[in-house]
Amino acid sequence: MKSPRSVKSRIVLTLTLASLPLVGLAPATAHADSSTVNVVGYSIVKSVFTQLEAGFQATPAGAGVNFTNSFGASDTQTNNVANGQSADLVNLSFTPNIDQLVTAGKVPANWASQEFTLGGLNVALKGSKQQTTYPTPGILTDSTVVFVVRAGNPLKIGPSWLKLVKPYTTSTGTGKHKVVTSHTYGIVTPNPTTSGSAHWNLIAAYAGAIAAGDSKSQATSYLQSLLTNTVAQPVSGSAALAAFLSGTGDVLLSYEDDALAAVAAGSPVQIVYPSKTILIENPVALTNSGLSNQAAKAFYAYLYSSAGQTILAHNGYRPVTKSVWQTTASTFHKFGGSAIPITTFDPSGWTALNGQFFDPSTGIVSQLEQSIG
Amino acid sequence: MGQGVAVTFYSLVVLIPLAALFSNAFTHGWGFFWKAATAKEALSAYQLTIVCSLVAAGINAVMGLGTAWVLARDSFRGKAILNALIDLPFALPTVVAGVTFYALYGPKSPVHLTLTGTWTGITVAVVFVTLPFTVRSVQPVIETMTFNAEAAAATLGASPWRVFRTITLPTLLPAIVTGAGLAFARAMGEYGSVVFISNNLPFRTEVASSYIYSLAAAGDAAGAAATAVMMLVVAFLVLVIVSVTSRRLVKGH
Repeated sequence: MKSPRSVKSRIVLTLTLASLPLVGLAPATAHADSSTVNVVGYSIVKSVFTQLEAGFQATPAGAGVNFTNSFGASDTQTNNVANGQSADLVNLSFTPNIDQLVTAGKVPANWASQEFTLGGLNVALKGSKQQTTYPTPGILTDSTVVFVVRAGNPLKIGPSWLKLVKPYTTSTGTGKHKVVTSHTYGIVTPNPTTSGSAHWNLIAAYAGAIAAGDSKSQATSYLQSLLTNTVAQPVSGSAALAAFLSGTGDVLLSYEDDALAAVAAGSPVQIVYPSKTILIENPVALTNSGLSNQAAKAFYAYLYSSAGQTILAHNGYRPVTKSVWQTTASTFHKFGGSAIPITTFDPSGWTALNGQFFDPSTGIVSQLEQSIG
Repeated sequence: MGQGVAVTFYSLVVLIPLAALFSNAFTHGWGFFWKAATAKEALSAYQLTIVCSLVAAGINAVMGLGTAWVLARDSFRGKAILNALIDLPFALPTVVAGVTFYALYGPKSPVHLTLTGTWTGITVAVVFVTLPFTVRSVQPVIETMTFNAEAAAATLGASPWRVFRTITLPTLLPAIVTGAGLAFARAMGEYGSVVFISNNLPFRTEVASSYIYSLAAAGDAAGAAATAVMMLVVAFLVLVIVSVTSRRLVKGH
């Protein structure tokens, strides 16, 4: 018979081993070799970076350059870099993540101007001289939030954010035996604590309500209905897509590029474009180490070249350069003629907006989740 | 010499990481620790996790005893294969189990049983992952048990149920309690197999490990450590109770 003491020790050992990963995230190490570029990105850009790196290696500037890659949830990646993971170039899901790296001393405060100094793009030019689709510096790709529904759209989900939380009815039987049942659409969106795309989704929903004429308090209660009808909050955008494909929910809130990739991969889904949605801007920056790495600087320039932006466009990301947008615009949905109608609905900027929505104790979304639970 | 090696090993693998975890949890002082450890989302995650883990440990105590009994005392074709299959839940990466459960008990369930987003689903997943504990702690005890006392009781006219209740069960109880305790502790920390089937809804179906992961991923290492410390304290209390109970049972026997 085992003595109780040894049993307890074994149990404590088991528990401790289970908690080990929390103790500290060991920074990955890589060579500071000038012909190696350490790329750190958010989860869904993994496959497009494989193509971008191959494209770059085929150019004279990229010949012989090696890459190390790390992709994952944007917040996690940001923290890893802040804590010392080697990174020359970071492509994160939104600007507040880069701002965090500025605070941590990893990225220079003037990172957004790299687009001009290294990428050769002047976002300030207007009219016929305009070089970018939107005047936001430091952005590599644009995207938007869309609804992903089952192929054929059997529940006839429309482009209205507000109607997404309205009940719909189904009836069975006829005449006297007719039974009408009321349902709500089951919504799937990733968990905002772990997923960058979830932030965009919920802010888009709120912005959609505002654009439809809601006051701020009405938009907040709309968001509450949306969260109440949410049936799953998987840990990441790709986990959310997987859950949706397994049959969970009726509508998935997703990045347009991720949705286009799912359709292209032959998944039994289709996209419904909301009539009003927000502009998603995914930033890129060279870190301090990247700025002293010639290969990293050349790769950064390649990302903004016609070749780089075209690869991005073919993968469903809206290109930021005007010239590539003009040649690829026909492959993207148009919102009343313009690329995306709501560029901003709140002038306070993404970092402030992020806190306003997602601060763990005071954020609108955090408080709503609590009231629902 | 042997003791030195044991102490060094235990320190490296257990004590130092534990100390680091506690020091992380208290980085910003007691006030921060308590606020993080008792955040509303944390409390609802503890409740869900503890209830599901207790139920799973209970189910495994009963089913594990039955399985161990069959493996130790009966002989049948395919027994060796069944015996080998018991440990599979340990070998299988838990994420693989999670994905499998989602396919099996999700909205497109081939057996028409949808458990996603329910406490039942979470419990089923942790029952699977912790199944081997009771079987493997009880089986050797049954195998080495002598039949004398049971046979004598039966000869004296005791019913099979009475023999089981008064002789067999008391002998096995410490092993059952140990196995169930291990199963409970393991279930408390489970992530991979439950994160999909739970649908991960904060305040509704989010398990503690997933909540802790979300804090860690969002850069709140101290909050994650504080929440983890609370889980460790709960698990530790349960294990102390298990240890004391088990010791009493051995003495009583």
